[in-house]
Amino acid sequence: MNWVLKRTGQSVFTVWAVATISFGLIRLMPGGAEDIIVARIHESQGSDVPAEVIREQVQHRINIDPNAPIHEAYLQYMGGLVRGDFGHSVYLNRDVATILAEALPWTIFLMAISTLLTFGLALSLGAMMAYKEGTRFDISQTGVAILTTSIPYYVAAVLFIAYLGNRTSIFPARGRYPAVVEPGFTIQFIVGSFHHAILPAASFVLTVYGLTALAMRGNSIQILGEDYVRVARLRGLSDRRIALRYVGRNAVLPMYTSLLISIGFMFGGSIILEELFQYPGIGYYMYQAIEYQDMPLMMGTFLVITVAVVIALFVGDATYSKLDPRIKSGDDSESY
Amino acid sequence: MSTYERSQHDRALYETADPVIELRDAEVVFEMDRGVSRVLDNVTLDIQRNEVLGIVGESGSGKSMLASAMLDAVVDPGVLSGQVTYHPADGHPVDVLELSERELLKHRWEDISMVFQGAMSSFNPTMEVGEHFEETIEAHDYDIGAGMDRARELLEDLYLDPDRVLPSYPHELSGGMKQRALIALSLVLEPDVLVMDEPTAALDLLMQRSILSLLESLKEKYDLTLIFITHDLPLVAELADRLAVMYAFELVEIGATEEILRRGSHPYTRSLLNATPNLDAPLEEMRPIEGAAPDPVDVPSGCSYHPRCPLADDECVASDPAFQAVSDEHSVACYHWQDAPDAIPFNVEVEVAEDCPQTDKEGECLPDERTADSSEPEPQQAENRAETDGGDQ
Ligand code: SF4
Repeated sequence: MNWVLKRTGQSVFTVWAVATISFGLIRLMPGGAEDIIVARIHESQGSDVPAEVIREQVQHRINIDPNAPIHEAYLQYMGGLVRGDFGHSVYLNRDVATILAEALPWTIFLMAISTLLTFGLALSLGAMMAYKEGTRFDISQTGVAILTTSIPYYVAAVLFIAYLGNRTSIFPARGRYPAVVEPGFTIQFIVGSFHHAILPAASFVLTVYGLTALAMRGNSIQILGEDYVRVARLRGLSDRRIALRYVGRNAVLPMYTSLLISIGFMFGGSIILEELFQYPGIGYYMYQAIEYQDMPLMMGTFLVITVAVVIALFVGDATYSKLDPRIKSGDDSESY
Repeated sequence: MSTYERSQHDRALYETADPVIELRDAEVVFEMDRGVSRVLDNVTLDIQRNEVLGIVGESGSGKSMLASAMLDAVVDPGVLSGQVTYHPADGHPVDVLELSERELLKHRWEDISMVFQGAMSSFNPTMEVGEHFEETIEAHDYDIGAGMDRARELLEDLYLDPDRVLPSYPHELSGGMKQRALIALSLVLEPDVLVMDEPTAALDLLMQRSILSLLESLKEKYDLTLIFITHDLPLVAELADRLAVMYAFELVEIGATEEILRRGSHPYTRSLLNATPNLDAPLEEMRPIEGAAPDPVDVPSGCSYHPRCPLADDECVASDPAFQAVSDEHSVACYHWQDAPDAIPFNVEVEVAEDCPQTDKEGECLPDERTADSSEPEPQQAENRAETDGGDQ
């Protein structure tokens, strides 16, 4: 219980720190975020609107009052965050919170598919390679894994878009769901969503699985040499039980952390990936925000990614002890 | 000597009246890049029903291989050849090496079971101890209720609390508890034979002793045949009815425990007795045996002990000695065993010396034997004797 409190405290602190740093960045940006936004609006709307009016609007929208003393401005800003008010996107002219709420499920959907496929493929392949250590299968798969790992996911994405997306019509190269289908719980919509997710997910899975597969292979080979596996065989247990309950279970344990780290990595990767595939998720909006210097949107996406990673790590830490009985979540801190 | 007489004579040397396991020319080879590695070299041996047989040897002498061979459990890519016959208490003898994969899985643990050297890591770290018992019982299609009752009884016999041990994870138990739980696990399917490979190696002396006495009572209660493999001769001597000594992947001497301790006749056995203190002797009295254990790829010709043996002559280098009878139940593979007591005197009196008749012709047991010895001792023996004499007198 004590541990949960401590760990929750750590998580909250991380989120708070990220929010504070982004506040500082906006406040300290050369020329001020506000000036940039005002200039942008001025450009786009022409000079018939007085600059003062725009400035007032902007101040209202970005949730930071430049004239207030810094501590007051800070409280105002944090208060907004706590209420779920991330400000207003200048570029899209919508509330940031609305944009995020709409985009987040898609990113999570895409990442869940990628993660499941990556680990499903990597763990089973790695275990098979370990069982067939030294055979042609093992050696060739090791080579393939190293080769695919050395390709950056965005290169794979560009290749997929060019060859599978644009030259053929097997897979859609952009968007989240078919343009002709209304969002809702219809078969067409769900099938269409998966269809659209295939290429982005494949770009991740095929370039990331290799490392995990090789790690799984190494772990499994080590476990296969353990005394308890030998004793289990002598005790007459079925190969299936030994593969799952002895080798698999113990080989996966050290990979659990890397699974969680990969969630952070995928969130980061989603910025470029979603832009390439024009897939409006969190990453896509962050890219847009950076391109148009849309501060509130940038901060909102940044915070969402931070919170997601923090939650993933929290869940991971909290559940690790369920997987490995040797680790206690309580007072035992050796795993962190 | 006619063939008939000869075979009669040979038979007496390794056969016992009611064997539970017969090993004939058991050999294990590994194909390696630098040659064939023969890690068990034609071992022929009977294991008497309900006896405690101690198998003693240095590490790398092939004693673990002998243990694995009895269960046909040699790890890949080792190849076991020869003959292993199991005699159930009732029923026909079983040719273990001819068993199908399925029959072999049944044979192991139901008829003959094993406690490994790596006892500390013989449990799956992510599984409760109790589940190990359950899955074993289930894998052999035994009744789970009766099986678990037996498991609990065994744990209690080993002074473990089943309610505490069964729901624990392996890391929650101490080394000694794990070791005892492992012994219980190996007996859960009521085997006739239990092979133990260095079962006490990782434990402290006190725990070793208590496990020995527990094994003794388990053996009585469940009519077990125990095969206890160790490098620790004095330890196993407390428990074993017979001792077999291995050197360089072969058996070199076998006999009743008392016989070996009092009249060990192979030069290696004698050096081994000198190299290991008895339990009550301080560690400083250990006498290392000069030279290194042989490489399994390149075992010396003839008697494999000849590079280290003070009695070695041309005959020893030329051909491998056969077993000769020292007494009824004591045989040794050495050409010059009669000369061994003079060449390699015991430097510490073994515990059984008290029972020894004062006027023993062989003389090993006499207190003044060491000083009376006039033959040329091997150099390290001379040093040792100097120390011992100084210390003792
Ligand atoms: S046969 Fe020869 S070399 Fe071998 S132990 Fe006997 S005396 Fe030594």
